Amino acid sequence: MTEIDQNSGKGRALIRWLFAAAFLIAVIASGVFSGLMNKAGLLYLVFGSVATALMGFTGREIVTAFRQAAGVAGAEESLSKSAHFWEAAARNAWVLGALGSALNFTIALGSDSGGIADISNRMIGSFVVTLYGLVLAVICLVPAMKLAGKAEDRRLQGEARPVTEGARPKPIAARTMNIDRIIGYVLFAAVLVLTVLFLIGGQPQSGSLPMDKILLHWPAILVVIGGAIALALFMGAGTGARAWTLGFVMTGLIGLLAGVIQTLFGFVHRDITEVSTALSFIISASSLSLLGLVAVAAPLEDREVMEGRKERSGSLSRLFWAIFPLLTFIFLVLTFIMIVTPMEKPGG
Amino acid sequence: MRVKRKVGKNLDEFLKETFVDDLPPDVAVGMRERIERFRAGKTKSAATSAAWALILRRSAWAVLSILVLVAGILLQGSKSSSPLSDRISALKAEFSSFSTTRR
Repeated sequence: MTEIDQNSGKGRALIRWLFAAAFLIAVIASGVFSGLMNKAGLLYLVFGSVATALMGFTGREIVTAFRQAAGVAGAEESLSKSAHFWEAAARNAWVLGALGSALNFTIALGSDSGGIADISNRMIGSFVVTLYGLVLAVICLVPAMKLAGKAEDRRLQGEARPVTEGARPKPIAARTMNIDRIIGYVLFAAVLVLTVLFLIGGQPQSGSLPMDKILLHWPAILVVIGGAIALALFMGAGTGARAWTLGFVMTGLIGLLAGVIQTLFGFVHRDITEVSTALSFIISASSLSLLGLVAVAAPLEDREVMEGRKERSGSLSRLFWAIFPLLTFIFLVLTFIMIVTPMEKPGG
Repeated sequence: MRVKRKVGKNLDEFLKETFVDDLPPDVAVGMRERIERFRAGKTKSAATSAAWALILRRSAWAVLSILVLVAGILLQGSKSSSPLSDRISALKAEFSSFSTTRR
């Protein structure tokens, strides 16, 4: 490929991105979707995505992925790794969106009620964060698919694998914790804390129920942590980071189903305590499973791929990353419906 | 006893005089094989003990995680209250009374 071709390719890519950005700004400025605005959710998603990218990738890998998304050419291996970065970014955005909704939902529940209509509005407003996550995921999937296509083309053309020894990335010792990852984890913790503080600040608080305790439902925490560690251990070291993905998703799914079943029994028994305990379990178990997925399992799987220990993320892991956040969203909607469904006391 | 020690002393001197140079090749090979076997045995036992330590550590973690899991299930089954569930109870009661009032 000549230099002129490369420059025109970069120019076209830049024009496409500028056009997409202008379209997005115009849509926001039009006010058509003003009812879907959640500033805290948007900031959480953007900074959370940056943090999760740093947790799984080095700064150099991120810069390369951005450059190649902007049209810079690369070898097959480099292109496929950049495609993996964008796919991981899409996955993180989707998982963070569902996690953001769950946290926002919990905070809306814990805030002091300004009337039924007000609290219902706040609970429904929390679902918008999942929508943001989905939109960001779609945006990140575009370069992922393009780069994967280019890498496939290079492979079919039989292009030689990464050129010289000097251009080859330096091998990194397995399971090292470099500075980018530490920054990523610190930033992620900061984003979570600041989002919760921002959301609490914007809502009237219940005096008798402090917010930090509202976020912790111990049975769900014990089940998710215990279940995830047990499953990961039983699957063994050979499975690698996939064991953690499976562990968190499986315990999350079990938590969701057990919670729904307990809720239904609560409705049959006309026992508000049983219903509310089960609903708390659903919210907390799904939040914690998503947190485990995005903060533990996903970065470990990313490192496996980028360090060449695995060719790509497991197909089962990819399926779970797509399905579990969706299920969480559906169960949060069900939880909302079950909270607003009136219950009569026995004989009442 | 004294005779035995004397014989031993003589044997030492005899060996020193006989093997004043390098060991004969066949003896050296035999000794090397014995040393190798001895080393391999030591390494194998170290590897075995490391494997056992790993298994014990993993088993301890597995037992601990299962205990945590069971504790969580029991707590949930006993309908133990938490601030979040209390809040949901209050909200449900509010929604129920609102529905009753509307009727």
